Amino acid sequence: MLSNRLRLQAEELRVIRGGKEVLKGITFAVAIGEVYGLLGGNGAGKSTTLLTFLGFLDLAGGNARVNDALVSEDVVAARRSIAYLPESASLYEHLNARENLRYFLGLAGSAGDDESMEAALDRVALPAEARDRRLADYSKGMRQKVAIALAILRNTDTLLLDEPTSGLDPTAIDEFHDLVRTLADDGKTVLMVTHDVYGACQVADRIGLLRDGRLVGEFSAPAGGRIDTEAVHRAFSSREAV
Amino acid sequence: MSHVLLLAKEEWRFWLRSNLALSAAILFLVLLVTTAILTTVRIAEERHAREHHQEKAESTFLAQPDRHPHRMVHYGHYVFRTPSPLAAFDPGLDSVTGQSMFLEGHQQNSATFAVSGASADLGEFAWLTPAVVYQLFAPLLIILLGHGAVVRERESSTLATMLAQGISGVTVLYGKALALFAAILLMLVPLLVSGGAAVGRGETVLAAILMVAVYFLYLSIWGLLALFLSVLSARRATALATLTALWLALTLLLPSLAVSNAARFLPIAGQIETGLVMLSDLRKLGDGHNVNDPAFDRLRRDLLKQYGVETVEELPVNLRGVVAEYSESRLTDKLNEYADRRMAMEQKQAALLARHGWLSPLLATADASRAIAATDLNNHQRFLKEAEALRFDFVQGLNRLHASKLAYIDDIKRSSDQQAEKRTRVSGENWKLLKDFRFKPDDVGTRAGNAWPSVLALLVWFAVLSIASVRAAGRIRL
Ligand SMILES: Nc1ncnc2c1ncn2[C@@H]1O[C@H](COP(=O)(O)OP(=O)(O)O)[C@@H](O)[C@H]1O
Ligand SMILES: [Mg+2]
Repeated sequence: MLSNRLRLQAEELRVIRGGKEVLKGITFAVAIGEVYGLLGGNGAGKSTTLLTFLGFLDLAGGNARVNDALVSEDVVAARRSIAYLPESASLYEHLNARENLRYFLGLAGSAGDDESMEAALDRVALPAEARDRRLADYSKGMRQKVAIALAILRNTDTLLLDEPTSGLDPTAIDEFHDLVRTLADDGKTVLMVTHDVYGACQVADRIGLLRDGRLVGEFSAPAGGRIDTEAVHRAFSSREAV
Repeated sequence: MSHVLLLAKEEWRFWLRSNLALSAAILFLVLLVTTAILTTVRIAEERHAREHHQEKAESTFLAQPDRHPHRMVHYGHYVFRTPSPLAAFDPGLDSVTGQSMFLEGHQQNSATFAVSGASADLGEFAWLTPAVVYQLFAPLLIILLGHGAVVRERESSTLATMLAQGISGVTVLYGKALALFAAILLMLVPLLVSGGAAVGRGETVLAAILMVAVYFLYLSIWGLLALFLSVLSARRATALATLTALWLALTLLLPSLAVSNAARFLPIAGQIETGLVMLSDLRKLGDGHNVNDPAFDRLRRDLLKQYGVETVEELPVNLRGVVAEYSESRLTDKLNEYADRRMAMEQKQAALLARHGWLSPLLATADASRAIAATDLNNHQRFLKEAEALRFDFVQGLNRLHASKLAYIDDIKRSSDQQAEKRTRVSGENWKLLKDFRFKPDDVGTRAGNAWPSVLALLVWFAVLSIASVRAAGRIRL
């Protein structure tokens, strides 16, 4: 019964990359409508964790489930139900923002109409004059905005966001956090990777702390409140498990 | 399916926005169109010249005055092989085998190059034909267009974005393949035009279609190779380097190795050695000009017995003519024996070379292309055989004229007796026994049959690479 309310489940996940065990048995779950922040230093295994839900990596052990189904059994179904924002906004340099959106949405099978596309670009505050320029001329933050717009337009129940605020200016970061809260309030499930403690505490309902391929702690927001930034910061900086 | 189309369209948009792909495509097109025009003009001129020479040779022979038939045996005749319509696309062996031959009594001359100014203009570049451009250079353009198909997206991480939209690696492959095959089809348009022009010159539509199909298969093999390596490689540079090395190996190195292999394992005896052995063989057959040669003793005895007479003067036929016919026949049998042996060896060499097509698609393609264009060894050898048949036919016709129309008495006295010499002349009307010579390429069924083993090799290459590519794409990695 409980599992029916879970979107994403990692069960004793183990992954070996380049001959090195980078996930050493991770277990956590994200419930429907929840914003889960995955926090950790460089190389902790955050991006790797996201990739397992998309079926991009072979598992050395454990299970990854999306909507209760094993990812390995139907990778395409898992990918269809997830909007994924990669670590570095990976879109076509030779296309402009609109062309990129139209193309990737076409691949997703959700041909977005022009209006919703403009609305999404408005939401991420991409300047209108930039929308017809090729991405080759964009700043990192502008590309990130297009990628976020794509993730929203996918209109999936689940979003996996890998360092979504990198490259964004402080105003844009605040706007983005508001956006994530709005999505969650609409019932979307968000799994968000970051190494920004403050940002994570601002938006997440729960935070998992990842260190060297292990989940070393979890923090939950009290009812109606936010997670205590201080506590998370302390845990993040310490060498000990929480 | 709509995803495949979408992917293919996107690939095309990428090419159209990339200067390198566009300039390479234009360069290729210019090279192709130039060689197509030059080769077509050259072959058309040769065709025209040879048809003209053939008619002239025939009318010259027919216009000879009344004379002794044996003088016409030595006067001889020329035959010319007119190029097949598709030779304008692939002249094949035509550029290394002779296209004309002097026919005369008592010997089989080898084919020589028709004296025609057209090919001399191009000099060294005569080897650069549309077929060679397709075989050698088209793969480079395909490598350029195809090598990055997947690995480019892997390097820029857009592969992850693509797959994350919920499409499979195999769908990605199909999309990229569709784009590349569409490009290949476009590259084949000049060949299609060339084939259409050949149909206009009398070629069958089927032959033209077969030709296009063979090159589509060949270029698709390169397309699949490029895609396969693009799916597997981690770096774009690796894919490009591997494909370039493969191009060098499969289009330059292996073919030249194959040629020297074929020559080494099945050497065709040198002209001079065989010439000497043959000469001593032929001497044993006797000199057909000399009725007293002991080689013809038995013939004479049989003749006298057959007609129940004592002396050759009493025979109702001219012994000189009979001996000439008899000796020409025996000589020709011997010459044909040598020719057949040489041709069989050439066939073995060609077959050995064609079998290397299992290793190099270029060799298989070149072989199939020549076969379909009717510019292969089969057609050349048939030209030699038909020319020889014509030679034997008119020489023997003249010999029979010699035997039946000329009195033996006059014949032996003709150098000393002017009246007798006059009587040994036969009317120039008789030269009409010479048949017209018009060489026709094999019919399309025969040509398809000749091309089949190499086409099979290409089909196997295509199938294996298709399966390998799909399997690799099914396990695609970021
Ligand atoms: N493509 C790869 N091949 C081999 N090892 C990798 C690859 N990507 C990441 N790793 C290794 O996996 C570990 C976890 O990486 P990652 O999940 O990207 O960390 P994070 O996102 O937390 O910074 C690191 O040690 C990294 O070196
Ligand atoms: Mg990362």
